[in-house]
Amino acid sequence: MEHQLIISIGREFGSGGHEIAEKLALHYNIPLLDQNLLDEIAKEKEVNVDSLKEMDEKYTNKLFRRTIRGFSSSPQDNVAMMQFEYLQNKAKQGDSFVIVGRCSEDVLKDCKYMVSIFVLGSKEVKRERVMKLYDLNEFMAERLMHEADTKRKRYHNDFCEGKWGDSRNYHISVNSSLLGIEETTKILINFIDCFCNSSDHKQSLAQ
Amino acid sequence: MLAQILAVVIFVVMFIFIIAEIAERHVVSLLSALATLILVFGFGMQSLEKAWNTLSLEHFFSPAFWYAKAGSLEESGGINWETIVFIFGMMVMVEGMAHVGFFRWLCMRIAKMVKYRIIPIFFTFMILSFILAMFIDSITVILFLAAVTIELAELLKFNPVPMILSEIFCANLGGSATMCGDPPNIIIGTSLHYSFSDFITNTGVMAAVSLLFVLVYFYFIFRKDLISKAKETDYSSLPSPESTITDRKGFLISSLIFLVTIFLLVTHAATGLTVSTVGVLVAVVTLAFSGKNAIMILKKVDYKTIAFFIGLFVVIGGLEQTGILEIVAGFIGKISGGNLMMMVAIILWLSAIASAIVDNIPFATTMIPVIKALSLSYGVDLSTLAWTLAMGTDIGGSATPIGASANVVGVATAAREGYVIKWGYYLKKMLPATIMVVFISMVLIFMKYL
Repeated sequence: MEHQLIISIGREFGSGGHEIAEKLALHYNIPLLDQNLLDEIAKEKEVNVDSLKEMDEKYTNKLFRRTIRGFSSSPQDNVAMMQFEYLQNKAKQGDSFVIVGRCSEDVLKDCKYMVSIFVLGSKEVKRERVMKLYDLNEFMAERLMHEADTKRKRYHNDFCEGKWGDSRNYHISVNSSLLGIEETTKILINFIDCFCNSSDHKQSLAQ
Repeated sequence: MLAQILAVVIFVVMFIFIIAEIAERHVVSLLSALATLILVFGFGMQSLEKAWNTLSLEHFFSPAFWYAKAGSLEESGGINWETIVFIFGMMVMVEGMAHVGFFRWLCMRIAKMVKYRIIPIFFTFMILSFILAMFIDSITVILFLAAVTIELAELLKFNPVPMILSEIFCANLGGSATMCGDPPNIIIGTSLHYSFSDFITNTGVMAAVSLLFVLVYFYFIFRKDLISKAKETDYSSLPSPESTITDRKGFLISSLIFLVTIFLLVTHAATGLTVSTVGVLVAVVTLAFSGKNAIMILKKVDYKTIAFFIGLFVVIGGLEQTGILEIVAGFIGKISGGNLMMMVAIILWLSAIASAIVDNIPFATTMIPVIKALSLSYGVDLSTLAWTLAMGTDIGGSATPIGASANVVGVATAAREGYVIKWGYYLKKMLPATIMVVFISMVLIFMKYL
């Protein structure tokens, strides 16, 4: 990449958001950050990554949490904050990357070179995909989708002002079920290219 | 009856909102205070006088507020301005000390003194945590101790979590030793007119005895974790204690102010200076010597906590004025059958359990009128109940990660550096220690006072 580019991807479970993120990272030749974000943090801090991953993208019950002067007793909160801080530092350093989830559209909202995407899908198509990917029956696939999306939603809405999946919080929201993952990726590449070539983007890079 | 119902509803709703963190606790307590003034005093009791009394603003104009030998303050319940003014003064002093690097210097100095050996650091930091928490707030103590512990752990290659947990426990224990160590003690002391030396000779003794057991306990459970994995250690990468001082002149002045403050607190019963006067003196002197940093120090004061206290006092004032707390006292008196030993056991364990789950400040504030009523109704010694309440609320908070402010700050500081402390691990190590100290306190109270 010639200039900095950060692509933030939020996604519904089963929508193929993660696969789209992989394809975008490959296309723009920039790293993909998802669960490996904690690997990087753990390596940098020389700590055990497993204990961090256990707390990744999880919601804390408010009854088991207390906040004092910005410090939270919740391990989940602290792991989330650690990731947010890491992402913000990476963005400040001028790194380009694709980031999946982690409230990134909100955490990096002040970054001018960030484009935020939310990938959703129709229930039937998502269910089919989840059944195939995880070898599940219809009932179990729907249950997994519901549980995963509920967790993501609670985690997101706990840290961000905007609601998870609300199109007003993202630059573009796209339903991947209509055209499929390949075509949706192409549309997104087109969108991102336009963003990179936009006068605003060029101006901010020139500053 | 209507006023009583309203007072209880406001109190319960406030507690739920604080526990569930629906809004910041100072916002919740101030709104609850407003609701108490309007609904309980205005609508329920229709008494402007009681509402005014709860604000206790006239205390500022009473000589006894500043100088104890000038008489005694009129008992009105409501806002305990002595606590507010004292806490403000101490916050200013602590900010001044932190700004010049005092706490970091102290931690590094001690680590160097014991030649950076892990076990001696473990013991000295626990004792340091205990002693510092006797005079300054446990949040500040743990903020600096935990940060330095992690820094040392990274260099010496050991797991900092056991040391941080031990420091948290000792900070809470140290806070129980004096009148100014933990907010419940300040509130108990100022509300019931006990002095610094009253605390140190009662709760201080219990805390000191408990500390000996605690040192042994933590060493026993953590000894296998306190081993360095480093083959060689490069001590030169650690900052020298002197280099942590950001302002040498300010450092000397801050140290002097700290020592004079301790002297004023220790002697306040003899000199007649109230803790409000000590608080104001400390704040004024700190700010006067801080020069251009005075504004920055004032900005750093935790006004949210002060606002939380003010709101809380009004809500508890509502419960007190409507007679609800007398009903609670009557209930405790009834189940204890008027037996002091039973009362002590109930108050101690109830306070400890409640403080492990909810903020100990509202609990202690609520219980003060209750123990006063118990003392009046059953003719039992108020001071015995006061020391019991102080120990229960101060120690009980150590049991869970959410029980006390020091726990939250310690756990968060560790987690932000990648050392996640889960509830299960925390409870496994800290709950037995809490039960042990509460039990020791109960035995000591039984032996000394009954």
